[in-house]
Amino acid sequence: MIGLPHYLVVSAALLGIGVFGALTRRNAIAMLMGVELMLNAANLNFLAFWRFLSPKAMEPQVFVLIGFTIAAAEAAIGLAVVLNVYREYGTVNLDKIAELKG
Amino acid sequence: MSTETLGQFAFYSLAALVLLPAVFVVTTRNLVHAGFWLLPTLIGVAGLYALLQAHLFVPVQVLIYVGAILVLILFALMLTRDVMDPRERQTNGLVGWAALICGTGAFVAGHVLFRHAWPSPALKPDGPHAQAAALGAALIGRYALIFEAASVILLAALVVAIVIAKAPPSHAQPKPCGETDP
Repeated sequence: MIGLPHYLVVSAALLGIGVFGALTRRNAIAMLMGVELMLNAANLNFLAFWRFLSPKAMEPQVFVLIGFTIAAAEAAIGLAVVLNVYREYGTVNLDKIAELKG
Repeated sequence: MSTETLGQFAFYSLAALVLLPAVFVVTTRNLVHAGFWLLPTLIGVAGLYALLQAHLFVPVQVLIYVGAILVLILFALMLTRDVMDPRERQTNGLVGWAALICGTGAFVAGHVLFRHAWPSPALKPDGPHAQAAALGAALIGRYALIFEAASVILLAALVVAIVIAKAPPSHAQPKPCGETDP
């Protein structure tokens, strides 16, 4: 019987993979892909809790809708910043963009 | 094959569809391939939403993530890809520590969540129509303010994204990589 724990394990694994990608990628866009994986894990968690703990409540679905909005806003702003950084520095390698490093 | 076996089969194949490509997303050297590996992951998450009977979010996930965000990411990759050689190393020096921390964290979280005695589901979700109606009523009723705030955030974010990504004035020449500001 597939229950809440199974979904939570998948979600935890997806979050771990996303954090790994965000921490280790040198390319800024690839790092943003890791962040997208993390946001997907959060949404999956919300809907799993909704389905198995309170399927009549609407709050989790509202949260997930807000989560989609935040993900879209994050992707738009993040990629705009990355494009501007590319224009300014000629690279999106996060190791080389270190002007603020002391 | 019973319904339960079918449900288990669907869940485990969707979980594999989500997690295996996700590993490739964060490890593949060719970043365009990494972007395309996001596709099965996002579709798999939509499939998990369908298994969770959150019917409304299946098309929303496909439209927003696959249709909008993934296309945006692929465009950005293709606009900037000439500097990132696929043969070059794509990860920084943190790989070992990051793998250790993320692996341990995900394992401990998964273990604790799996062992926890969750209450068994008492109720079933409504059908797709009733669910969509309830969500719509919640969005224009009790959560109208949150909904409006989200739309304002999205509008502001998109305007800011356009302003940031707009072409710079012609006197600002792009600097080659490695040169610092005079």
